[in-house]
Amino acid sequence: MEKTSYANLRRGILVSMILVPLTTFILILGIGYYYFTTSLESSTIATMKRIVEDHRHMIDSFLTNRKANLEFVLDSCPFRELADPEELHHILLNLQKESSTFVDLGLFDQDGIHLNYQGPYKLVGKDYAEAPWFKEVLKKGQYISDIFMGRRRIPHFIIALKREAAGKTWVIRSTIDTYMFNDLVKKIRIGKTGEAYLLNADGIFQTERRSGGNLMDKDPGVVQRPPSHTGIKTFIEEDSNGDKYLYATTWLKDQNWLLVVRQEKADAFRFLRAAAYIIVLVTFLGGGAIVGIAFLLTGRIVRRMERLDTEREQLGGQLIRASRLAELGEMATGFAHEINNPLQVMKSEHALIDSIVSELKEKGDLQPSESLSEIEDSMEQIDLQISRCGAITQSILKFGRQSEPVVEDIALQKYIPEITAMVEKKAAVQGIALTQEVSEDTPPVHGDRGQLQQVLLNLYNNAIDAITSRHGAQGGKLVVGARAKEDGRVEISVRDNGSGISPEDRKKIFRPFFTTKPVGKGTGLGLSVCYGIISKMGGIMEVDSEKGVGTTFYVILPGSKQFRGKNRWNK
Amino acid sequence: MEQMKMMLVDDEERFLSTTQKLLSRKGYDVLTASSGTDALEILRTHNIHVVILDVKMPGMDGIETLNAIKRNYPLVEVIMLTGHGTIDSAVEGLKFGATDYLTKPTDVQDLIEKAEEAFGKRQVLEEKIRVAQSRTVGKSAREILRETGGQR
Repeated sequence: MEKTSYANLRRGILVSMILVPLTTFILILGIGYYYFTTSLESSTIATMKRIVEDHRHMIDSFLTNRKANLEFVLDSCPFRELADPEELHHILLNLQKESSTFVDLGLFDQDGIHLNYQGPYKLVGKDYAEAPWFKEVLKKGQYISDIFMGRRRIPHFIIALKREAAGKTWVIRSTIDTYMFNDLVKKIRIGKTGEAYLLNADGIFQTERRSGGNLMDKDPGVVQRPPSHTGIKTFIEEDSNGDKYLYATTWLKDQNWLLVVRQEKADAFRFLRAAAYIIVLVTFLGGGAIVGIAFLLTGRIVRRMERLDTEREQLGGQLIRASRLAELGEMATGFAHEINNPLQVMKSEHALIDSIVSELKEKGDLQPSESLSEIEDSMEQIDLQISRCGAITQSILKFGRQSEPVVEDIALQKYIPEITAMVEKKAAVQGIALTQEVSEDTPPVHGDRGQLQQVLLNLYNNAIDAITSRHGAQGGKLVVGARAKEDGRVEISVRDNGSGISPEDRKKIFRPFFTTKPVGKGTGLGLSVCYGIISKMGGIMEVDSEKGVGTTFYVILPGSKQFRGKNRWNK
Repeated sequence: MEQMKMMLVDDEERFLSTTQKLLSRKGYDVLTASSGTDALEILRTHNIHVVILDVKMPGMDGIETLNAIKRNYPLVEVIMLTGHGTIDSAVEGLKFGATDYLTKPTDVQDLIEKAEEAFGKRQVLEEKIRVAQSRTVGKSAREILRETGGQR
């Protein structure tokens, strides 16, 4: 496979390995976060609503109770009692026993004249006929005011009630301590920033707001009101400082006052923020882990695929080479066989001419001359070339005629010295130091004795040729070795310090008819025959060489099955 | 001494004629046959000592011809002529009674040497036969009578 397609493959795997789990992961986190947020928000809002409701109820009942106190006064005390300062004082004391918020108590006639008053001020005789509260109470029978400064420049609100009996109308009025009232609402506290306050219909503070907002000031923020008198409105709104608040508002039952409970959004939803932080953290860590693992696995997968591809390519190459060799062998054999017949004829013709010429010479019909010697030289050349053709066809036939190997276990510790002994003399003559390095623990190989001998001798002869072409008759080194490979196969190596093989030649070295030897010296079939033989034994041949340094041929054969079995036992 | 009589059997006509010429020049008596059937026909009418037989021929091949020759003329020496590729059949030929084999392209000198060798062998064999036969023929009637009478 091409380098770029590996890059594409890597990218593809990487993208899907990152995207698929990451999408799922983020989706799960997102959905989880959404539901968590929703439920937390709704529970926060529900809490807020409950608080608003409770406090409305509390304030409502406070107001109702105060009104009921005054109603009770009206019901239980006739006008004459109320008009008596002594009695009124007594009634005020009783009211104050009921609730300390009652500050004063006054009685008015139908014209708004203050008839009687008990409290901290001197108000008797003052005329309230034109006061809005008085007009209201005459009209509706009862009145609870907003908080106002009034004559006393002190914030207060009043409750006034009207009573009619025997054609006479009178009104009682009591001032309620706003500070006491203020405390009641101010006491409400939710989280760090949660607070409550009352606004009148015009948005004027009826109680102090803890986070700033004095009595009687106008609320600078925008406060939404619930549409109905009983409903609760919740919303999120930025206040004048730019902080976002969660609001819950509701109208009081008997009074046009708005109870507002609010909490800073960040405070109300602080768990939400914590959850968000955790989710962001988890997203980064988990995402990082996913990406990291994806990279790791992708690297591993692609490397493994690359290795498998390389192995497959090598195997394919070997198979192609082997089958090509077999085909070639078949073809070459037939071809060589057919060539032999004409060669035989040529040889006979040559012998005939030769004999005729000798006869003519003997008879004296042919005198020695330059032409004659040229003819003789030419004849000799023809004979030589016919022999050469014969040698080639014989090599080809040998190459094509590889019989099936008869495999047996061969102990290399004994076998290699036997084979090596055959070339010892030749090596000695060429001044080559012959070394054998057969490791004692080399397992026996599974192969054909005769054919393996042919291969080794071929390798030895090639090595000797390479050595002599570089070193002449001294300084040559030839090392034959054998050892067990990690995978249970056995490697036989033939190493020389000869002329070496160039990288281009190395690719072609096992091809039939490829030779680097001078014309007429080699047929180029030796190594391809060796290759074929070793392939049939289930082995492979490899070559390692550097020009001007030397060459090593490796024959890698399967180890003996028994030995392999035993080896496994030992392990 | 008896003159060696050779026969070349090959499907290559030119090889036959040239080799025949060549061997004739060297003083040998040579017949040729271009097929196994021809060879057997010639053997029927001529006393041939040595046959040079090509292994690979169309029709009746070398081994078949060899078997026929050995069956009908066991004393005839046969030298198989083989391309290297058919060395197995040469070996087979030796097992079926051929004296020797030559590989193509063969040198005429080698051919002559092997033929002479085979002829020598043939002569030794013939000599033995002659001696054996003459011993039987040489016995007198009396000797024979004595032998049979003694047995009684």
